[in-house]
Amino acid sequence: MLSLDDAVTLLLQLGPEDRDELARLREALMDLAFGNEVPIDVQPLVAKAVRVLGPLADGSAADPAAAFADVSAILEAVMERSGPDSPPAVAEVAEDPPLDTLPADLDVELLRDFLVESRDGVAASEAALLALERAPDDAEAVNTVFRAFHTVKGTAAFLGLARLSAFAHEAESLLARVRERAIPYDRGCAELALRAVDMLKALLDAVDDALGAGGPGSPGGALALPAGYAALAAALPRHAPGAAPALAPVPAAAPAPAPAVPNVTEPAPAAEHVERRQGERRQGDRRQGERRAGADEAASVRVRTDRLDRLVDLVGELVIAQSMIAGDDALAGALATHHALAKKVAHAGKIVRELQDLSMAMRMVPLKPTFQKLARLVRDVAAKLGKDVELLTAGEETEVDRTMADVVGDPLVHMVRNALDHGLETPAEREAAGKPRRGRVTLAASHAGGSVLLELTDDGRGLSRERIARKAVERGLLESDRGMTDAEVYQLIFAPGFSTAEQVTDVSGRGVGMDVVKRNIESVRGRVEITSTPGAGTTFSVRLPLTLAVTDGMLVRVGRERYVVPLTNIHLSFRPEAAALQTVGGRGEVVTLRGETMPVVRLHRLFGVAGAAEDPSAALLMIVGDGRRRRSALLVDELLGQQQVVAKGLGDGLARVRGVAGGAILGDGRVGLILDVPELCALAESGEGVLPRPAAA
Amino acid sequence: MTTTATLAAPRGGKFLTFYLADEEYGVEILKVQEIIGMQPITRVPRTPAFVRGVINLRGKVIPIMDLRERFGMPEAALDAGAAALRCIIVVRVAAAPDRVVPMGIVVDRVSEVAAIASEDVEDAPSFGAAVKTEYLLGLGKSRCADGQGRVKLLLDIDRVLATDELSAVAQLDV
Repeated sequence: MLSLDDAVTLLLQLGPEDRDELARLREALMDLAFGNEVPIDVQPLVAKAVRVLGPLADGSAADPAAAFADVSAILEAVMERSGPDSPPAVAEVAEDPPLDTLPADLDVELLRDFLVESRDGVAASEAALLALERAPDDAEAVNTVFRAFHTVKGTAAFLGLARLSAFAHEAESLLARVRERAIPYDRGCAELALRAVDMLKALLDAVDDALGAGGPGSPGGALALPAGYAALAAALPRHAPGAAPALAPVPAAAPAPAPAVPNVTEPAPAAEHVERRQGERRQGDRRQGERRAGADEAASVRVRTDRLDRLVDLVGELVIAQSMIAGDDALAGALATHHALAKKVAHAGKIVRELQDLSMAMRMVPLKPTFQKLARLVRDVAAKLGKDVELLTAGEETEVDRTMADVVGDPLVHMVRNALDHGLETPAEREAAGKPRRGRVTLAASHAGGSVLLELTDDGRGLSRERIARKAVERGLLESDRGMTDAEVYQLIFAPGFSTAEQVTDVSGRGVGMDVVKRNIESVRGRVEITSTPGAGTTFSVRLPLTLAVTDGMLVRVGRERYVVPLTNIHLSFRPEAAALQTVGGRGEVVTLRGETMPVVRLHRLFGVAGAAEDPSAALLMIVGDGRRRRSALLVDELLGQQQVVAKGLGDGLARVRGVAGGAILGDGRVGLILDVPELCALAESGEGVLPRPAAA
Repeated sequence: MTTTATLAAPRGGKFLTFYLADEEYGVEILKVQEIIGMQPITRVPRTPAFVRGVINLRGKVIPIMDLRERFGMPEAALDAGAAALRCIIVVRVAAAPDRVVPMGIVVDRVSEVAAIASEDVEDAPSFGAAVKTEYLLGLGKSRCADGQGRVKLLLDIDRVLATDELSAVAQLDV
């Protein structure tokens, strides 16, 4: 690898037209900048040289001679500043990038990659920091964090993101002191390091926001400084063992653009330099560590999600096309006589099915990142509540659909908070009850029969049936709990406005949350159940479908139209006898089945379908419901069969249609509409839904 | 992706022309994604009448609009020969400044790709055509060798299929 000196020497022998050599030089400089082989204060300059060299090397520079002169001047400045004899540059070079704007000549693609990678790195370091708290001597964990901060620092400097780079440098320095055992990783240090992680996240978000606001060079390219930046940046280098930093936490998500602190001073005392040099000497070892860590994980490629979704769409289409070919009558005749052809068709079908499985699997992501966020939450909430809590996780490698992982995040946060606040006792109470002082929360994920099971268990005081029932009666949710099973009583805590916390804390207990939990989980067709043993703890079991993309549906016919009714909404179908039907108030119709009276929903009227059966006793009633509201009886002509369908939107061009959840490609290649049953019933009951009968077209 | 630029920008260019009844319309070729044959359309309930429904375009669900209905023209009474010429033009419509969505329009038959010079485009008169003036870029005259060039109604397809209008209508309905 070239050193900086070599690079400059090389440049002296070149001219603007030596494009191959200039490209080599650019590579070398890039390695230097990324590898942190050059001091941090000249890194922006090296990065700038690389940027100018880009167009020069590929021949797209407008004025090669001028660009070449630029590179020479920049590298000269680099040598002056990094030369062994020269004092640290006092006079700032005018070319220094401004702290809080995106550089004008930024490579947007590169920046996006940087954001993705840095966020991963920062998330990994958060997990490592939490691990470190349990085992302060875990050198590998320290290294993980150190590497992540270091990479952010180097790449940010390379991209000209001076603020981010400077902050990552401070964070890295703190970890360097831990690594060299200059300071212990105590509580105060952990707090500070985690705050630094939050701040890095906030800074990365700010870059992302600026990028979204208008991109480099535009007025929107200004970076908002997250709240609390100045205090934290100042606290990092000053940290001394045993000190507990009294800092406000970094606002978690999307920090409001805080008033920018003008010119935060860069704390760069001489001692820092010494430290950094030591860090550099160790670089060799670190590199090897990096390589080892990398080899453990399977090589992966990042793919844009819209491309992935498109691939899944196309594979779905391929499956349909293939089944159309295989089911074609003309082919069926030929297959009977041509065994070779039959074999080929079967082979193609096998490949297509395998491809479908694979494409579905590509949408799956492990739950690990979701669990990691919860680990951090447990730590922070426990500290706030003054409780001693240990979080155990299992099955974090369990994979779920990408959208599902997003949706379950919030409910899990609420449930974990609830378990810590209400479920677990204080250490003193636990001791009095003869339990270990330290409470235990277990989060386990597993695959169970075509669905994903998430179980959150605490070993706290358990739910009190009496208290829940009393509260429910007070709130008017219930007249009496007589005849209800425990599980049914426990479900009451999911009712809107229900809260049993004796006092409202800022962690939970405001009565919001648990009802949202249930709603969110049900929005992805999941279920949540509670089991509890008084004095021994509570378990929340969340069962989720493996994927949102595939819906089990019943294909029904109404007139000439076909609709898909999700199986989860269907209780049963039957052909009613005329006597079971009744009109109410000359307007609504009801049907009575086994003592249950339900409104009849005439789908053909709601949807204006021509040619549908008018007489229910000549058609079918399908009892539908979502398990919350009253059940309804949907009038359909015929059941066409059960089918798995891939749910899709109706296209961006159409507004959302009430009563329709989406579309699905049916076996014949046509689109079938998937019904939104709860919405449909609400529409029917509101009475506004009936469309004029269409002309029999 | 610019729709508002149509006032100032030169209105000439290449247009895919098609027939609705006996009027010839044009849509900018750059807005056209593809032309597909007529196929069964799944009706979507509770949408405006000019929304014919949705179709499956290689695994994607896209809405199909009926331009006759949109322009208040009578429903086509086509014989079998003419019906076979009907097709769907898939256009890319700017639903928002940064969002382009594919939509299909049903036309009686596709005619040609015509290059129309800016100076041959005139402002649409505010009367006479079945189509509201706001939906038109202008009237295009193509020059034929025999000098018999017909006038083509050049559509501002983004406005014809303006999605906010679609949503507004759909919401009124419920």
